[in-house]
Amino acid sequence: MTRPLSGIRVLDFGLLTAGANTSAMLADLGADVIKIEAGAYLDPFRVVGKPDSNDGWWNRSPQFRFTNRNKRGVALNLKDKEGQRVIRELAQHCDVVVENFRRGVLDRAGLGYKELSAVNPRIVFAAISSQGDTGPERMNMSFGSTLDATSGIASLTGYEGEEPRISGMDVNYPDQIVSLFAAGMVITAVMEARRTGKGCFLDFSQREVASFMLGEEILAASADPGRARTRQGNAQDGVAQQDTYKCKDGRWIAVSASIEHPDLAAFCAGRTSSEAVAELLFRNIAAAPCNDGADLIKDMALAGVTLAREAGGGLVKGLPYRLDGKGIAIERAAPDLGQHTEEVLRSILGYNDARMKALADAGVTSTVPTVGEV
Amino acid sequence: MDSADARPLQRFTVIEVNDTSAPLCLRLATSLAGKIAADLGADVLKIEPPGGDPVRRAPPFLPTGESALFQFLNTSKRSLALDLASDGGRNALSDLLAKADAVLFEEPASIAAMARGARATPIEIAAFPVEMAARRRPVSGFTVLALAGLLHMVGEPERKPLRLGGHQASYAAGLTAFTGLAAALAARDAGRTAQSVRVSLVEVMQWVNWKAASGADAAGVSPGREGKLSEFQILPCRDGHVAVVYTVTQWPALRALIADPRLDEPRFATRAGRRQHIADLYAIITPWFTDKTRAEIQSSAQAKGVPFGPIFSPAELLEAEQYAARGFLAKLGDWRVPQLPVQWNGRSFAPRPAPELAS
Repeated sequence: MTRPLSGIRVLDFGLLTAGANTSAMLADLGADVIKIEAGAYLDPFRVVGKPDSNDGWWNRSPQFRFTNRNKRGVALNLKDKEGQRVIRELAQHCDVVVENFRRGVLDRAGLGYKELSAVNPRIVFAAISSQGDTGPERMNMSFGSTLDATSGIASLTGYEGEEPRISGMDVNYPDQIVSLFAAGMVITAVMEARRTGKGCFLDFSQREVASFMLGEEILAASADPGRARTRQGNAQDGVAQQDTYKCKDGRWIAVSASIEHPDLAAFCAGRTSSEAVAELLFRNIAAAPCNDGADLIKDMALAGVTLAREAGGGLVKGLPYRLDGKGIAIERAAPDLGQHTEEVLRSILGYNDARMKALADAGVTSTVPTVGEV
Repeated sequence: MDSADARPLQRFTVIEVNDTSAPLCLRLATSLAGKIAADLGADVLKIEPPGGDPVRRAPPFLPTGESALFQFLNTSKRSLALDLASDGGRNALSDLLAKADAVLFEEPASIAAMARGARATPIEIAAFPVEMAARRRPVSGFTVLALAGLLHMVGEPERKPLRLGGHQASYAAGLTAFTGLAAALAARDAGRTAQSVRVSLVEVMQWVNWKAASGADAAGVSPGREGKLSEFQILPCRDGHVAVVYTVTQWPALRALIADPRLDEPRFATRAGRRQHIADLYAIITPWFTDKTRAEIQSSAQAKGVPFGPIFSPAELLEAEQYAARGFLAKLGDWRVPQLPVQWNGRSFAPRPAPELAS
């Protein structure tokens, strides 16, 4: 079957999770995603996940490989005039741009929406940033966990009556959710571009995405500014009893009950986690073990389609949904730095040996980092 | 889009079925996906049971007695009450599905088989992966977070695991279902057969929590909640709290910001050293926050390129300068509500109020 985005080509400047994962979701729907990096500027995931300092370390980061499978990789120096020229040429053959640089970086390189839509009016340009492309805080620095704080989510997360909590660096929740929405918006804009011949600039604020996830709380606060919200631990309005309980085997389980069960803590303490969960479910009470990452990679029924294996056997990210009942096959592992530079520039732009050699000699293309010690 | 008030999905019709038996956490996901499509201009018809979607009676409530949760999740839709236990109700739904482009529904719904076989592309919201064969298992958004490993990530290591505020499992699944719906509409629009979509909350939240899986795969041990051992902690300040957040490359900037000579000690020079001495590090930096406001902390931190996060409550966000400048909070009757978090050529998609229950 032809996949939903077959024939769509994406110029991917996405970094870390927010950007790179949005284009990964487009790749999984059949788009041809060309990831652009440079020897002088690697996707930071190549560095954050650096497993060792041996040659080729930049191609072995698990976080990078988890996120960038099913893409091709091109290394072109964005700071070099010739590199910029090649990218503008590539943009003429693309339908979508995804980027999550700090505001202004692509504009300064002559690769912003204004320049790319001038060479390709059909282009859908998805700009993902922490605060959006406008407003007084557009240039603010942020990290996923910053947005837990500034979006409101942290203010409603924490132990009963204690200080707020963030999802933390091993979750960075606001970085994960943006692509689930941005991918759908890009598809919507691609449909519109197909119909009208005109692309558009999609401006995503990750902070707004995270606040949107609390829409009812913001609405309720607007109606009652005095509405006091404190941390409730695991309790939830409208649920009679909801919390985590420690079992005899030392494991925690989560329980949501529609009527109160004052003896629940003792009930759990007297049973192993699997006994307690089974008995509660039998009594029609929602209960589940508090799994950790090791549980997730062990239990393939639980994992569903969320994990996949590349040809070499490595574990990578799968899909958040299934299409016609299926997950995805990993058609290509995440690219080594510059792995497909030749293939892409020759096949799409028709570059010849002399042109390729000139770009390599000038340092415009590369396959090794020039970032120095990291 | 051709004119200023045209919306990109306005030529599509979507049926959203809220049957009586589905757990609340699934209904919220279905409704969020439908809301996004409706705000983008799709004609979304919400089928409610004769007594109305139970979310109409779910907290938090507005002073009018209406549910803020329902109002947020059902903007820009139309509503039709149908008794799907009756032949008449099912026939009416069947007619609607024959004319629609897509149908959003929940796995345990009595009409699931009808929806799966419809001409409209089925977008199905479930709790669990197919492989778990747990179709009838009791479930909540909270137990989904437990199964997906997210509770394990938040809180103190020696204390109980904690949930994130809000209805995160349902809403993340709602965003996912919207993207699946958009893919289906794009396929239909291009004259292709659209693939059916199935979204389970447990899969979505595992996908969100992928770093736990990747960390466990790489290290043999899962990452977990670190609480007071974490590099990122919450500190009290004069008017609230601030999340201390910095990357390895931002450490020198943080040191310059706090300007305490003890931070120059060699034991804090590397990330490993900082992690090892994290309690000492926080003991040194904590007093710097105590007498400053969140606004003062944010502006001096940003001036040095340090991404500290002042913590704001939902009520405080109504006053956020950035949100005001971008018009992110739209008027909804007498109140304000977050709009879709995207601007399309600078344009936002203001929602229309949720429908009354009609039959």
